[in-house]
Amino acid sequence: MSRFDPEARRMSLADNEVTRWLLFGLVFMTAWEVAATAYDAPFLLPGPSRIFAEFVRAPGLIMINAWITTQEIVLGFLIGSALAMLAALVLLVVPRWLEDFIFRAVITLNSIPFVALASLVVVWLGANTIASKVAIAGLYAFFALVYFAHKEMLSTDPLKEELLTSYNADFGQRVRYLKLPSALPVIFTSLKGAAMAAVNGAIVGELFGAFQGLGFMILDSRYVGNTARVFVAAVLCTLVGWIMLGILAVLERRFVGWHLEMTRQT
Amino acid sequence: MTTANASEGSATAARVLVSVRNVTMIYGGGTVALKDANLDIGQGEFVSLIGPSGCGKTTLLRLLADLIEPSSGSISIGGKSPAEARRDRAYGYVFQAPTLMEWRTVLANVLLPLEVMGFPREERQRRAEAMLALVGLEKFADKYPWQLSGGMQQRVSIARALSFDPQLLYMDEPFGALDEITRENLNLELLRLWRETGKTVIFVTHSIPEAVFLSTRIVVMTPRPGKIETVIPVDLPQPRDFETRETARFFEIATEVREALRKGHGYEVEV
Ligand SMILES: Nc1ncnc2c1ncn2[C@@H]1O[C@H](COP(=O)(O)OP(=O)(O)O)[C@@H](O)[C@H]1O
Ligand SMILES: [Mg+2]
Repeated sequence: MSRFDPEARRMSLADNEVTRWLLFGLVFMTAWEVAATAYDAPFLLPGPSRIFAEFVRAPGLIMINAWITTQEIVLGFLIGSALAMLAALVLLVVPRWLEDFIFRAVITLNSIPFVALASLVVVWLGANTIASKVAIAGLYAFFALVYFAHKEMLSTDPLKEELLTSYNADFGQRVRYLKLPSALPVIFTSLKGAAMAAVNGAIVGELFGAFQGLGFMILDSRYVGNTARVFVAAVLCTLVGWIMLGILAVLERRFVGWHLEMTRQT
Repeated sequence: MTTANASEGSATAARVLVSVRNVTMIYGGGTVALKDANLDIGQGEFVSLIGPSGCGKTTLLRLLADLIEPSSGSISIGGKSPAEARRDRAYGYVFQAPTLMEWRTVLANVLLPLEVMGFPREERQRRAEAMLALVGLEKFADKYPWQLSGGMQQRVSIARALSFDPQLLYMDEPFGALDEITRENLNLELLRLWRETGKTVIFVTHSIPEAVFLSTRIVVMTPRPGKIETVIPVDLPQPRDFETRETARFFEIATEVREALRKGHGYEVEV
């Protein structure tokens, strides 16, 4: 029986993970650079050094675009996730028939190709501000989370529910003491998916209508044949996604460390 | 008296705490889980419900706990309906599985009912620690449930059920999944708890020795439809210990229970 010490675990895990990623990054970048040099077609496949040089050519402009997209992603993720949690909770209290109806609506919406939905949102909210992109990123995040959050909070252990009934617990207490904590591991996994979805949503939104941002930069650079800058934008999007995943992983260890430990042990 | 009908098998203790009158429970699918049950349980008694699977033992406990409602008949707990008794936190329920919250430490699990019921912070802490000490788990307060053995988890669940000091303790085959040695130790511990706390215990089992060792009375039930067949008083002196299990009287009563169970089975075949 090992002692559960989240602090020690976090450190050793982080060390391990960071080392492994650094090693992977090094091997990957070297391979890429070698391949790009051998292929010798920077217009099609620029190597890491060329991409970095492109970034250094206009760091200010690129970072302004990156900042705009980051805002869209983060706001979209936060709003979309918050609404998804709210919807998941509301679906628990509404009458059965209404839950069924709403869920059918969600499934229908979810089966419309997102790209079609995104182009509509741009038409409705306009291309000038970040609002349309936040909305699209939010939609992506919402759908990545709402189903699993609802399902997990619905399918709690019946004996645990009866235990709370025996305490005469009200609905709020059921959520606080049972539904939310037992769903939290799955919610965190879904939140990671939602973060990735928000990145995609923001870029798709910008492709459909924007005058700023990394998505716009991709369109614009491709138009003038600046492949290296397309790569810069892609790399920055990936970095934003990674940072969000990293923050979520830290929060996950903080809030559902018990679950990581339990699944490791059993 | 030993083979008396349940309605005559009245409580020996001074005050009747639980009273079951002509209770029938028919589930949605038409299963008659309990038919015309009558039972009185006195304050401070330790009553075991014994019988083969499907004879309605769990159903009877769940009716007393107001987790389900009877199809007909009435139940009174200290003069109140089961629903009122539940609202007054009159009972602690120990399920067959420990049913602990995996995300809470052992101590936090014992704190759970106290938090839900709104006890003040200091009192919560004091009670939970005292209960853990009572079941001998104070050293494991900071462990998680899945780091404990099955027997220890069930002790946590008992500490949790006692933490808010309910009058009644309902236990549904709490030691059914444990090995024989752990079970006998926990039986002894439970008897000590019962003596020290003065709770009224209603205990479901399908082990004859367990029922005889623990109870002041044994309610023998038969299946299809679930009926209270016989109520057998257990006059073994208190306090009981491991040697109690080797006395002639222990075996006599065990035989009596076995015969009542067999008779119940014969009854079922005749019908
Ligand atoms: N929720 C339910 N719905 C329908 N039938 C049930 C339900 N719970 C129990 N039963 C049936 O009622 C009978 C008594 O069950 P139960 O009280 O669990 O018996 P025991 O605890 O003595 O094994 C069984 O035949 C069982 O299948
Ligand atoms: Mg049962």
